[in-house]
Amino acid sequence: MLEMLDYPFMQRAFIAGLMIAVLASVGGSFIVLRRYSLLSETLAHVSLVGVSVGLLFGMSPLWMAVVASLVASWMIEYLRSMHGMYSDSVLAIFLSGSLALAIVIVSLAGSFNASLFSYLFGSILSVSVEDLWVMGIFGSIAMALLLAFFKELYFIAFDEDVARAGGIRVAMLNFMLVSVIAVIIALSIRVVGTLLIGALMVIPPVAAIRFGMGFYPTTLLSIAIALISVVIGLSASYLFSLPSGAAIVLCLLVIFIIALVINRR
Amino acid sequence: MKFSPSLFEVDQLCFERHGNEVLKAATFRILPGEYCAVIGPNGGGKTTLVRLLLGLEKATSGVIKLFGTDQNRFKDWNRIGYVPQRSALVDGTFPATVREVVGMGRYAKRGMLGFESAEDKAAIVEAMELMGVADLSDRLIGNLSGGQRQRVMIARALASKPDVLIVDEPNTGVDVESQHRFYELLRTLNRTKKMTILFITHDIGVIAEDITRVLFVNQTLLVSQNPSEVIRCDEMSRLYGTPAHVVCHNH
Repeated sequence: MLEMLDYPFMQRAFIAGLMIAVLASVGGSFIVLRRYSLLSETLAHVSLVGVSVGLLFGMSPLWMAVVASLVASWMIEYLRSMHGMYSDSVLAIFLSGSLALAIVIVSLAGSFNASLFSYLFGSILSVSVEDLWVMGIFGSIAMALLLAFFKELYFIAFDEDVARAGGIRVAMLNFMLVSVIAVIIALSIRVVGTLLIGALMVIPPVAAIRFGMGFYPTTLLSIAIALISVVIGLSASYLFSLPSGAAIVLCLLVIFIIALVINRR
Repeated sequence: MKFSPSLFEVDQLCFERHGNEVLKAATFRILPGEYCAVIGPNGGGKTTLVRLLLGLEKATSGVIKLFGTDQNRFKDWNRIGYVPQRSALVDGTFPATVREVVGMGRYAKRGMLGFESAEDKAAIVEAMELMGVADLSDRLIGNLSGGQRQRVMIARALASKPDVLIVDEPNTGVDVESQHRFYELLRTLNRTKKMTILFITHDIGVIAEDITRVLFVNQTLLVSQNPSEVIRCDEMSRLYGTPAHVVCHNH
């Protein structure tokens, strides 16, 4: 089975997958605790618009996904925080709106359905060396920001008002968090796909929380769950010719069910 | 004569929400070492007043000075400990131990990328011991009783070693015995540690002996430096606009 690592495309898929696993589980921890899980799903749909535009105009779909996801994340946060709109309503508008836009673009073009399929569900064959560089650079920046403001983001997730009263710049950090999440999601679409990335962000922290530990051990467990799922999912994808995103998410679901059974309350 | 700067200096503070006047021209000062009760009917603007002091709401007009500095330029927010309303009602599944929650009180002091120093650790342990939650250090906050959670939240506020503690009706979901211990603790902090306390409450009777100043908030603000005057039933009835009975008791 280890001979799969002899193939360069599998090496790239594993490097990308492991990077995404760490980023998605750490970023996901904050959005889960803030009951903002739908953000990942929404931004994933928005990034599909970027991918469609990229394919239609012959630009890099990954770059376009990053741009679309970032712009949408700022608009969502602006509407939520400055206009006092309910988070779930704003997310629902962006989710369905962006999907509608992506479908229109796809139907106008009509020629790249096969390429689009890999962006929807992930494909281990699609990770290029250029993608790895983009993931490495943007992923490092995203992780550096998450680590630099780790404790502040944790405090905000626990009690936003008290964090603000304590002098923590909550508005700035909220914008930073949604931006980082947007970048992580856009980077993940090669491996997991736009329709399934939400699961990689949400399921690891939700499963880890079931074990009833403090935040730091919970985050570490969440990373471990994501890493295990990516390794098993990518291997299954290679062995059984499955879309990589679907295989990874099914592994996550199995781990989540195990966590539920072990920690029945 | 020794000059004693105000911790809070509020002048002609007004606040409107959706066009409705919540607070009109509030003017008052709070000096170091005071134990100040903020009372008034529901919806009268007590919590709004505190949120304005903490910068959580933006005033329509007026001036707020904190420790002699205009609020817009004030940076030392860790000098103010804040225990909000319903703080004991935390999410039962949130992954946070008592130690982690109390440690949040030091975050503003640590700054970006700041690791926990020996001073931080000592302050966290001291706050937990003072509040009697040191033995719960590794327990999840969601697994504690209402009274224990309340003590953890106060420990978090105390961990930053504040000069002033603002407590907003913190007894929701807390049993009577814990409430009594809580009042005793506030008295100790005020008398022995000389900590200034701003306490928002409906139950002024239980702290009647301790307070040095009363702010009565019902859109307008009435300040009294003679609490016994305000606590009289006829005065309370006049302020609340409804018959009120004040029962002073040693908790």
